[in-house]
Amino acid sequence: VSLVKCVVWDLDDTVWPGVAIESDETPRPHQHVLALLAELEGRGIVSSVASRGDPSVAAALLDRFVEPQVSWDPKAAAIQRIAGALGIGLDAVAFVDEDPFERAEVAHLVPEVRVLSVAELRAALGEPAFTPAQITDEGRRRVSLYRDEDRRRRAESGFAGRREDFLRSCDMRLEIRPAAPAELDRLGELGERTHRLNSTASRHGRDEMRRWLDRGQLTRARLADRFGEYGLIGLAAVERPPAHAGRELALLAVSCRVDGRGVPAALLRWTMDEARRAGAREMRVRYRPNGRNVRLAVLLRQLGFQHAAGEFRRSLEDELPPYPDWLRIE
Amino acid sequence: VSVRLLALLAAVLERDLVEVASLAPDTPLFGGAGLGLDSLTGMRLLAAIQREFGVDLAAEDLALDCLQTIGTLTARLDRV
Repeated sequence: VSLVKCVVWDLDDTVWPGVAIESDETPRPHQHVLALLAELEGRGIVSSVASRGDPSVAAALLDRFVEPQVSWDPKAAAIQRIAGALGIGLDAVAFVDEDPFERAEVAHLVPEVRVLSVAELRAALGEPAFTPAQITDEGRRRVSLYRDEDRRRRAESGFAGRREDFLRSCDMRLEIRPAAPAELDRLGELGERTHRLNSTASRHGRDEMRRWLDRGQLTRARLADRFGEYGLIGLAAVERPPAHAGRELALLAVSCRVDGRGVPAALLRWTMDEARRAGAREMRVRYRPNGRNVRLAVLLRQLGFQHAAGEFRRSLEDELPPYPDWLRIE
Repeated sequence: VSVRLLALLAAVLERDLVEVASLAPDTPLFGGAGLGLDSLTGMRLLAAIQREFGVDLAAEDLALDCLQTIGTLTARLDRV
């Protein structure tokens, strides 16, 4: 059994409750996580972070974590960087995330890494892998010099292709339907709380959702995969403005809990299909930057939108961009 | 600019530098007919450009007009 030398933590919904980017300040870590961090430190096992999000969050973590990685990279890539920086092998790393999808993704991309939920980590503390014998400073230094270049190089190549393989193995179903009145509370929450995958800089509450719904302009998406149900995680409000013959996407909002699964692209494609079926020739998107939603601007460019007169626009008369092929649209 | 940019593109897209360097300037960044950039790799590219060239393209140009082809992006970075 190889000894675990570093525990890499996910942040949102693991180290602390909720999503940091959806609140105004850095959330407080769970007490039970703080206790585990202290226990690990007492055993000479360092803790680090691999989490999706704005890199600026990492600075706030430096007193508790070494080499924290908060970025848009796959967590598996972040784990590689941590192992590289610490000079340890991937088999000396454990990754802790409460989301089974994220654990499976890391296990798929870097199979050497041991993946655990918080409860599994607590249970594993009794195992030899988490119980280092007394080691001398010299021994510790020798350990820190250990590198397995060959293995790392192999694992570093070709993430993108293997990530798509992983996504295809997840049996992801995206159910897209007109929104129903019973869903208004959750839709209002999405409109209020999403930042990163939100096309406007402002917040949209339940009342606004109700107005769109009453006019039949609101579409919502639910996601499920082989790990379970994510519930209602996305919405699109498409208006029919009097000023032009196209359709106008007034709001696209997707929970960052399902980040990296292609949901915004699928919702955009769906709304374009619907608009085209109704005879519209152009889709316009009311995009407002909020400093955190650049991803959506990049996505719109990827899907063939051009920016003109303050809006992203795309003709519906040429071929529409494909759905992500790992998503089954229902 | 060109070589540094091509190296970033190759790294972000996990493709061979020689292969990327052999592409025409009018090769689109996005899409199957182009380099296959998507929103995640696009974010990584923007972050890498900020690190390497010290320019936050997204903050300076909300429309991201330079993100069209290898040529448009090179031209934008030539002005840095």
